[in-house]
Amino acid sequence: MANFNTHFTVASGASAVVSATLLSMEVVSPEQAVIAFAIGILGGLLPDVDSSRSTSIKVGFNVLSLLMTIMIIFVKSSTYSLVEMLIVASLVFMGIRYALLEFFRKISKHRGMFHSIPVAIIWGIVIAIVSQWFFDLNSLVSWVYGFMITFGYFVHLILDEIYSVDLGNRRMKKSSGTALKFGMFKNRQQQIQTVIIYLLIPLLFSVAPNTELIKTALFSHEAWLTFTDIILPYDGKWFFH
Amino acid sequence: MKKRLSILTLSVLFIGCVPAPKPTVSIGTGIGTRIGSSTQNDSEYGRQPRNYASAIRNYFSSRLRHPKGASFQTSAPKRAYKRKGLAYGGDVAWKGWLVETRIAEQSRTGRYHTPIPHMVLFSGDQIVEDILGSSHKLITIVDK
Repeated sequence: MANFNTHFTVASGASAVVSATLLSMEVVSPEQAVIAFAIGILGGLLPDVDSSRSTSIKVGFNVLSLLMTIMIIFVKSSTYSLVEMLIVASLVFMGIRYALLEFFRKISKHRGMFHSIPVAIIWGIVIAIVSQWFFDLNSLVSWVYGFMITFGYFVHLILDEIYSVDLGNRRMKKSSGTALKFGMFKNRQQQIQTVIIYLLIPLLFSVAPNTELIKTALFSHEAWLTFTDIILPYDGKWFFH
Repeated sequence: MKKRLSILTLSVLFIGCVPAPKPTVSIGTGIGTRIGSSTQNDSEYGRQPRNYASAIRNYFSSRLRHPKGASFQTSAPKRAYKRKGLAYGGDVAWKGWLVETRIAEQSRTGRYHTPIPHMVLFSGDQIVEDILGSSHKLITIVDK
């Protein structure tokens, strides 16, 4: 199993390549490309949040608690006094950073359904929904951010699977197949969990932003042509355009 | 895991259950108002924009990456309203006229892209915002 530093480094590299490509294809603006890059890294760390003592869970909950605190201050700054804001912001921060983290540690199991392909997809849809419903972003940017979290997530799962191959002894480790999986089917409880996860996907899609633009921008023949256009200098001049 | 799933499901349901404000569309029936002329003036949505097609061209001439050679298709203005993102309170932020526009732009290599939909929001004759795409969860188009 890859450690935090490996996941961080690989997710950073992969996200940098993808966000730079999206920028070059003129799908996103430079500012959006930076956010997409950061979201890709987050996606690359997210799967280990189910490991109760991992660095990912600490980083993840620190970021989440700070984000929610800032959001509360954003929303309530026009109506609340400074003291009211301080009290509410402190409660939100402590509640997420300590209470929710402890609760999450108790209920989560490492390498459970969190390390699976459908959950990677669900995270992408959730980020797209949050981007549009909460932050008023357009459908294309919302789905680009959703795509980046799912991409980072996949990078993590694939890396875990690569690390489950023991090249020295030429054997598969016990952890093989526990990261990049479609679901868990060993017992009834796992089967129910898997079914619920799969049922969530269409449910989330029903409230998700329109996918028309992301399909055209990334998954169409035109997107492929745009991609091939940017691989080499289109005017034949290298570095001096 | 079950608890985590139920929290996630509840959050999703909560997002989906945010009530949309019901617009009260007033259609003018008073003296001097022609039947069907509700699109001209509206107390809630303001005056319908005039010369909206040229206003849109001017607006995008400084905003497109490659404005040269861009082609525009615009629909008739429709009454619409937009709410703020839930992170900013979710109140109605704008009420006015929305013009659906499709813009075909050249790429940096000179190839024409498929026309991209935009929603251009007007308050009277003034463009207040343009939103990429043909729909947005926070925008409700009143005139279908």
